[in-house]
Amino acid sequence: MKQIIRITVGLTISCLIAALVMGSVFVITDKAKRHNEHVNVQQTMLGLLGYSTSHPAPPELKLYSIYRYIFTDGNVNTLGYVLPVLKGGGVGYQLMEMDLDGGFVAQYPLDLAPEDASESAERSAALRKAIKPPKTFSYADATIVAKLGEKRLAYLLPGEFPGFKTFIHVMLALDPSFEILGLEITEQEEDPGLGAEIKQDYFKNQFKGKSFKKIKELHVVKEPLPEEYKAYLESQKGKESPIPKAELDVIRSRYQDKDIYALTGATISSKAVTDGVKNMVAKFAYRINRLDKVISARNIPAVF
Amino acid sequence: MPATTKTNFQLVSNGILNENPIFRLALSMCPAVGISTTVMNGLMLGIAVLFVQVFSSCTIAAIKNYIHPRIRIPTYTLTIATWVTVIDLVLAAYVPAAYKEMGIFVKLIVAFAIITMRLETFACKNTVSASFWDGIGMGFGFMFGMVALGFVRELLGMGTLLGYDVLGFRPLLFFVLPAAGFFCVGIMMALFNYVEIVYNRKKRAR
Repeated sequence: MKQIIRITVGLTISCLIAALVMGSVFVITDKAKRHNEHVNVQQTMLGLLGYSTSHPAPPELKLYSIYRYIFTDGNVNTLGYVLPVLKGGGVGYQLMEMDLDGGFVAQYPLDLAPEDASESAERSAALRKAIKPPKTFSYADATIVAKLGEKRLAYLLPGEFPGFKTFIHVMLALDPSFEILGLEITEQEEDPGLGAEIKQDYFKNQFKGKSFKKIKELHVVKEPLPEEYKAYLESQKGKESPIPKAELDVIRSRYQDKDIYALTGATISSKAVTDGVKNMVAKFAYRINRLDKVISARNIPAVF
Repeated sequence: MPATTKTNFQLVSNGILNENPIFRLALSMCPAVGISTTVMNGLMLGIAVLFVQVFSSCTIAAIKNYIHPRIRIPTYTLTIATWVTVIDLVLAAYVPAAYKEMGIFVKLIVAFAIITMRLETFACKNTVSASFWDGIGMGFGFMFGMVALGFVRELLGMGTLLGYDVLGFRPLLFFVLPAAGFFCVGIMMALFNYVEIVYNRKKRAR
């Protein structure tokens, strides 16, 4: 009996100390960690729009996030969009509910400060205040609209899809006509040397410049990547390229409407990315068109 | 095993050569086979293991007199898990560039055999300073093994080193696949043993 108590007390104390250490480190580091993640995402987005430290983004560039939720009320599903809108001279948020056929259902004011909108906990709290049970909501995805002055510059879509091993997380940039401006692989755990090559310029830049029409019928071809195309793809990173610009344009036009060349030994990963991107673009184009229609029909003062 | 009589230098070299975790003790073979596909991966995991091993060894050596002998294994696991979590959080917060590369490896370390084994056979019987040097030796020994494996596999599998193209072509794609990890570890182990035999023979002849 004495032994039982000694062991129990000993382990409990060890666990308490460990928990205290981990807890306090978490509290100290959490803010910096979230800040880093935020900076990281921001850099990826600006990079996709073609901005870097040597070519910084102009101050007129604004990024607005739209969050999509799925509302469930018994058997009925509706879509809820958390939209950035003009509110008293600044930017505020509003919730707009839409049925699955694109019809307007309702709009609600949201008590959500712009600086809190990127926190999912803050958004959930605001949504909980706006929607009454038994209606429940679940987060679906986010879209970032980049605006330069009054003009929409690009859509940035964070997304994920299954790869060969685990989920591949990407960030996709589309221009207003849904042509791909760039693709960035943000997280992946494919095989090094094989599937992990999806993050190399010579693969991911193949998507750059593909038109909306081409994306719909994009395939993967198992052919070796032509040398000149590879050189062109690897020059697409803002670095000085040894190939003259005129020649680059010729190469670009030659391969513009070609399919995606599969990676050697990683056809499944190549296909996963291609299909994933195809899917994201098709779904997004459908959704944003419907959303825009409702917004203009109901005169919602959306800022994006 | 009584407290060690080795000097600090001997403790470090013991971890790297005589008791190299991968090639001599044959512990932590999972990462040795799975992650050592490139030099960079090996180096990153090596650094992470080095820190966790040193911190855990010192902690256990410091509290060894308070651990009930029957519950030492849960205490080791708890110590390792705590240090892994702390290192993970600190890296994510203050060294984001390194975390981007190392993040996925750090969390794996909780289950590494080599760390628990060193706590059980060394740290719980020795002083904090001896455990510190033993941890350094084991950490570097592990790092050395991972980098050596990564060097061979990256060079032969992808024709690159640290991501730079050195060969210009890919000799044998097979080497980056997990199966090749076993071959590489086996061949390296044989090499290690062979060198030791030759060394001992010369020593005797002298």
